[in-house]
Amino acid sequence: MIDAHSYMNLDEGWIDRRIFWEPEIYARELSRVFARAWLFVAHESQVAQPGNFVTANMGEDAVIVTRAADRSIHVSLNSCPHRGNRICFADSGTTRAFVCNYHGWIFGIDGRLKGMPEEALYTQTPGFSKEDWGLMQARVDTYKGLVFATFDASAPSLGDYLGDFRWYLDAVLDAEEGGTEFLPGVTRSVINCNWKFPADNFVGDIYHALWTHLGGAKPMLGAKGGVKIDNENSYQVSVNGHGWEFGTNMVGNAATMGDRELVRYMKSRSEAIAARLGEFRRDMWGSVASATVFPNFAFLPGYFTFRVFHPKGPTKTELHAWTLVPKNMPDEIKDRFRRGSMRTFSPGGILEMDDGENWEHSTAANAGYVTRQQRLCYALGPRGREIADQPGIVHRGQLSDANQREFYKRWAEFMDAPSWAGIPLAPMTKSQSAAA
Amino acid sequence: MNTSVTTLDLATSRALAEDLLTPWAQGAAVSDPLLLPIERFLRLEARLLDQERYRDWYGLLADDLFYWMPLRENRRRRTKGREITPDHMAFFDERKADIDIRLQRLESGMAWIEDPPTRHVYAISNVEAFDTAIPGEYEVHSVFTMYRNRSERDESTLMGRRRDVLRRHGDSFKIARRLILLQQSVLLSKNLSVFF
Repeated sequence: MIDAHSYMNLDEGWIDRRIFWEPEIYARELSRVFARAWLFVAHESQVAQPGNFVTANMGEDAVIVTRAADRSIHVSLNSCPHRGNRICFADSGTTRAFVCNYHGWIFGIDGRLKGMPEEALYTQTPGFSKEDWGLMQARVDTYKGLVFATFDASAPSLGDYLGDFRWYLDAVLDAEEGGTEFLPGVTRSVINCNWKFPADNFVGDIYHALWTHLGGAKPMLGAKGGVKIDNENSYQVSVNGHGWEFGTNMVGNAATMGDRELVRYMKSRSEAIAARLGEFRRDMWGSVASATVFPNFAFLPGYFTFRVFHPKGPTKTELHAWTLVPKNMPDEIKDRFRRGSMRTFSPGGILEMDDGENWEHSTAANAGYVTRQQRLCYALGPRGREIADQPGIVHRGQLSDANQREFYKRWAEFMDAPSWAGIPLAPMTKSQSAAA
Repeated sequence: MNTSVTTLDLATSRALAEDLLTPWAQGAAVSDPLLLPIERFLRLEARLLDQERYRDWYGLLADDLFYWMPLRENRRRRTKGREITPDHMAFFDERKADIDIRLQRLESGMAWIEDPPTRHVYAISNVEAFDTAIPGEYEVHSVFTMYRNRSERDESTLMGRRRDVLRRHGDSFKIARRLILLQQSVLLSKNLSVFF
C-alpha cells in the first residue's frame, strides 16, 4: 500500500526520491492523478470550426478533441471500443467522421457510433445497441480559451478546480480584449525524465535560471550580467497545487527573447492592460515568471509558451508546446512572438535546451538503490512570509521552494484520497471577471 | 539586451520560405565539374561541425541567410492545405544574427550541457545540384545523418533532407538559404543543441 504522504515532510523540507522512480508509484499517478484531474487538452482556436479536431493526451490515454456541429467541444477516447485500435492517427484536421482502420467502425465527431460494415448483422444481434458503443467521452469545460477535460464523473467543476488561480491566469489569458489563440504548430519532444521534474521546475523554480541558463542568457542579457531576480519585489502564489512564481517587471521574461521590438510593443500596451487588470496583474504579463496548472500544464509569461508534460512511463516525458497570443495582436508582432518563443523555449531554444539534461539525470540517478534512499532538499524559503490580502497562498520572494512544497502536498492529497470527496479545495475569494 | 536579432522583415522572410517550398529540381542538373566542388563544400561544412569549428562554419553563411527547420505534422492525405507553411511554429527559423546568438551561448563557457563536449558526426549523401534562375546560385539537395553521443549512454541519431541555395563565392560557396526536413513529428531527443 502506497502512503504518498510518507514520502515527504514539507515542514522539514524534504521529498523522497523514490516518487520520481518507482513503477508502482507511477501506476498510481495514472489512476489517482491523471484520471481524476482536469487536464489541459487544447485551445479553442485549434478547434474553431465544426469538424475541426486535434489529438491530445490525458495521462497516457490518447484522446481526440473535436468541435461538433452544434459547436460543442467533445473529448473522446482515441480508441475503438470494438477491438481497441487507435481511431485517429492525424495530429489535426477537419472531418465528418472517424473510421477505425481495423474493421471500419464509423464514429461521428461527437464520438457516437454511426455505423459499421455489414451493419445488418449487428442490428440482428440480440442486445446490441449502437448507443452503447461510442467513443468514451470525457467531461469538458473551458476557461478563457483553454479547453480542459477529466474522465472523473465526481470531479468538481473546472471553475472550482482552478479556484482563485483563475484571477492570476487572467494576467496571460485576458490581458487584451478579444481573447487569445494558439499560433499554428505544436512542438513535440521527448525527455527521459519523470514528468514531475519539469512540472516542479515550472511551478516554482526560478532559482535554477541563475545557474542553468547563464550560457543562454549571456548573449541576450550580457551587458546586464545575466538573469537578475529582485527577490524582495517578487512572489510565489499557490492555489490547489497550481503555482506561479513571478517578478513584477512586466517585460523581464520577454526581454530575454532578444527582440527590442517585442519589448517596445509590450510597454506600449502597459496602460491599456493596467486599465483592464490593474497594475498588479499588468506587471505579471511578461515578467520573469513560470507557472504550472496541476498536474502537468505549464506556461511562461513573456514568451507565452504553453506546454504539457505528458507522462510516458516513470522515466519518460513527452513535451508538447504551443505559443499563445492575443487574437487582436498585430500579425507582425505575433510573428515576432513565434520566433522569439522558438528561439528561447523550444528544443533548439537557447534557454530550453539547457533544461532537459538536468531533469534526465535527476531521474536517472535514482537507478542507484542507495542514491534513491537519500532525500531531496525542498527547504528553500523562509516560512511565514505569507501575504494575506492576495488570493491563494502567497509568499514574498521568488527564490523559494514554497510553490513546489504546495505542489507535492497536492500530489500526495490526490495519491492518498480514495476519491475526489477526500481532496480539499481552497476557498474562493475572487469573483471571476477581468476587472481588478 | 545587447542584440537585436531580426534582420529580415516579415514579408521578405515569408518570400524566402515560400521559395524553399517551390517544386524541387526544376532547373537543369549542374555539370559534373560543378557538382564536384559543391560536394566538396558540403563535406567541408560537415567536418567543421564535427570538429565544433563553429565560427569557421559561420563564415560559410551568407549575410542574408534564411535557415529554416519546420515542424512535421501527421496529416491525412486528403487534408487541404500544406503540411509546412512559413507561419507555423518551427524548430529553427533563423537569420544570420540568430545563429550568432547561438554561437555566443556556446562560446560563453557556461553552456553546461556541452561540457564535457558532445561528440557529433555528420554524414552527407544523395547530393544533387540544379541551376536556378539566378546565375551563380544553385539549388542543392542532400541527405544528412547526424549521430550524437555525450556522456556515457546518451545518444541520438537524426536523419533528414536539406534543400539549400548555395551562392558562388570566389572559389567556394556561401549558404544563402537552407530548408531542413527532419523526418520526426515528435523529436525523439531532448534537445537540438546542434546545427544542420
